[in-house]
Amino acid sequence: MNQLWKLPFILMFTTLIAAAALALVNNKTKPVIEQHKKEALLLALNNVSPAGEKGKIEPVLKPDGKVDYYKCYAESDSTKLVGYIFTAFGVGYSSTVETLVGVDTAGTVFGINILSQLETPGLGAKVTEIKYGDTKPWFQTQFSGKKMNQLTVDKDGGTIESITGATISSRAVTNSIYKALEDLEKKIGGFQNKVKPVI
Amino acid sequence: MAIGKEFAKGIYVENPVYRMVLGMCPTLAVSNTVENAVGMGVAATFVLLGSNIVISLIKNIVPKKIRIPMFVVVISAFVTIIDLVMAAYTPALHKALGIFVPLIVVNCIILGRAEAFASKNTIMDSIADALGMGLGFTLALLSLGITRELLGNGTFWGYPVLGQHFTPLLIFILPPGAFLVLGLYLGLFNWIDNKRKLSS
Repeated sequence: MNQLWKLPFILMFTTLIAAAALALVNNKTKPVIEQHKKEALLLALNNVSPAGEKGKIEPVLKPDGKVDYYKCYAESDSTKLVGYIFTAFGVGYSSTVETLVGVDTAGTVFGINILSQLETPGLGAKVTEIKYGDTKPWFQTQFSGKKMNQLTVDKDGGTIESITGATISSRAVTNSIYKALEDLEKKIGGFQNKVKPVI
Repeated sequence: MAIGKEFAKGIYVENPVYRMVLGMCPTLAVSNTVENAVGMGVAATFVLLGSNIVISLIKNIVPKKIRIPMFVVVISAFVTIIDLVMAAYTPALHKALGIFVPLIVVNCIILGRAEAFASKNTIMDSIADALGMGLGFTLALLSLGITRELLGNGTFWGYPVLGQHFTPLLIFILPPGAFLVLGLYLGLFNWIDNKRKLSS
């Protein structure tokens, strides 16, 4: 009878110690990890901003205080709007792919930067792959200069070259950008039309 | 002497992948490129070392009847701690190995060595066992990774080696390729083993 109570108690005690250790480590590492995330986000923002590094990036907040999207201005004190940056979430094969997208005022993609993904290593994870001898990830750079109607993968009749063996991941990124761009268009009341009238 | 033996056995005689057929889930999933194979191998060795040390230290206070759940708690807590510490203090390393850490939790080599070895042996032997098993696991993954990446993509660690005229056999980096290559290697090692037994 004594055993019946002793064993669960020991197991509970072990899990308590493990939980305490985890809480302690989490407490210590959380601010450091947040700081890394902030730095990475800032770097990524500058990377995709159509205003370049000299420009100013200003967050537009949602009613709950979270960042909805960013507005980019040409110079730090200027009010000349050159584009927007927003985050797109796409459900991939094994994770939600979070992508930062910069567009100009006409809605043309300036650059994208995948912030987080946990797709299959060697297949879906190639969305962030940098090929040997290259400096930039090939899958992400092909989005630059694409208009909204071009934002579908080649298998669906679009212009984005999908990753061999990882159509689901390629589609997740591409379609999430399309969808988020559509949302942004509604939020800002339409992009500026740069198409010149045919004479 | 004994420590050397505990280390060496993991590489061939008791190789976790080819001789004991343990840890098949990560073996099949992340052996499609050389880079992934090395990443997974290093991360698993690291965790194996930590868990073997902890288990061999607490082996005398763990009641026999509930040892498995206690090992599971220790290992999963350890893996999570490593993940957090790596993310905070070595972000570059975490970026490279981070995706493998959640996969290590389902790696039965870790629990297997805790139960079969660390819970019955001294800390020094457990360290040697962890390093040997880790190296054996890494080498096995590497053999699969090299074969699959070379045939499936024509590259070695992302560097093209087979030239322009080679058409990659994509199936080798896809899941079916893992089963094919693993099966052939297992057959090869069994064949070598049988030959050795016959000749001796």
